[in-house]
Amino acid sequence: MQGTEPALRAEGVKRRFGHRVVLRDVSIAVSGGDFLMLVGHNGAGKTTLIRVLAGLLKPSEGTVRRSGSTGMVAHSSMLYDALTARENLAFYGRLYGKTDPALVDALLEQIGLAPHGDRRVATFSRGMVQRLSIARALLPDPEVLLLDEPLTGLDEAAAVIVRNVLRDLKRRNRAVVVATHQLVEVVDLASTVGFMVDGRLAGLEPVAGRDAHAVMARYRELAADG
Amino acid sequence: MGSFWTAALAIAAKDMKIEWRTKTAFASAMVFAVLVLAVFYFARDPTAVGAIEIAPGALWVTFTFAAMLGLNRAFMLESENRAMDALLLAPIAPSAIFVGKFLGNLAFVGVVELVSLPLFVLFYNLPIIEQLPALMGVIAMATVAFVAVGTLLSSMVVRTRFAELMLPILLLPFLIPPVVGAVQLTSRILSGRPLSDLAGWLKLLASFDIIFVVLCFFLFEATLDE
Repeated sequence: MQGTEPALRAEGVKRRFGHRVVLRDVSIAVSGGDFLMLVGHNGAGKTTLIRVLAGLLKPSEGTVRRSGSTGMVAHSSMLYDALTARENLAFYGRLYGKTDPALVDALLEQIGLAPHGDRRVATFSRGMVQRLSIARALLPDPEVLLLDEPLTGLDEAAAVIVRNVLRDLKRRNRAVVVATHQLVEVVDLASTVGFMVDGRLAGLEPVAGRDAHAVMARYRELAADG
Repeated sequence: MGSFWTAALAIAAKDMKIEWRTKTAFASAMVFAVLVLAVFYFARDPTAVGAIEIAPGALWVTFTFAAMLGLNRAFMLESENRAMDALLLAPIAPSAIFVGKFLGNLAFVGVVELVSLPLFVLFYNLPIIEQLPALMGVIAMATVAFVAVGTLLSSMVVRTRFAELMLPILLLPFLIPPVVGAVQLTSRILSGRPLSDLAGWLKLLASFDIIFVVLCFFLFEATLDE
């Protein structure tokens, strides 16, 4: 991975829920410009890892260090349905000390929701909510962006917008971690792939020109090895 | 400090805006308040029980239970789309979230009380113009105490399966001291007793305000752990 001081470093992270161990000894480091794609079956621990990396869950063992601000896109939108898109972003902007309305306009433009800025989120389609959720995460211009299935439920046009956002983040030297099942959409952007098997990071390898099929083949290999 | 209050006020303003738009909790609280006042009014035999004997109890039963409907709603707003996660990711002190929620709840309960009070006066035909400042003072003091505890407990129960049932069960024991104090003071104020007669209960109510607000402020962060 690039850079000297990682923007995000997890060492020996273990997470239990009661007696159930969901993450086992996971260690990763992500620096500016890195794009880590996390691959794994449902229940492999991707979402828990993203939440631990974000600081929303404390690791039961191990440490997570973040050197800069962190944005996160999750399954849930973290938005208020009764507020408009613009009001949602303005609210979060105040929490981050970013009160310039031009920033909200620029973000709405970037995710293709400028004409819908004054509509309540409750009236949005799943894809629009997902795009607004990404704008919310981008608002503080985070050093690290963590995304959990960001392309789920998006139509082709919306997926292109999200891919452009991810490409832009990479270009601007931000660290990106994406947990996804939709490898085809992300694999060409990723620099590294992490294979999650039963809560373990079974492999952390450079993508090195592999396509989605090759990545999945490698995943099956590692999963079979246990 | 600036960002603490900016965040707290932003959260309170956001909650009030959402309640203003949806009126979900306000409508149910007002219907409840009118219903309770009417039931107490019709249950009383005016030839046997004087209005002043039943009015303080009726007032505080109305305020307490109507307020609970709003307190329940406060953190449900944050759990609907897991917006609480976004608040926790923001660079703000967890106690700013508590203060914001506390202020939002205080405003909600204050409005419910302001609308219910004239109805109470109307139902019980009480001439309270002279006693109004003292009565308002007591209402404000008791409200601060139970809203502080209600805000803390509502953040605790929001992740439980029966949050709406759990809040009253947990909250009611804590409400006994301030509500008993408030009933005693209201009774004395409505009877036109001198201020010196109120001192003991006022000190007690003030103590509960300080203890509850300070304790809840410091305990709030512990309620956020998953």
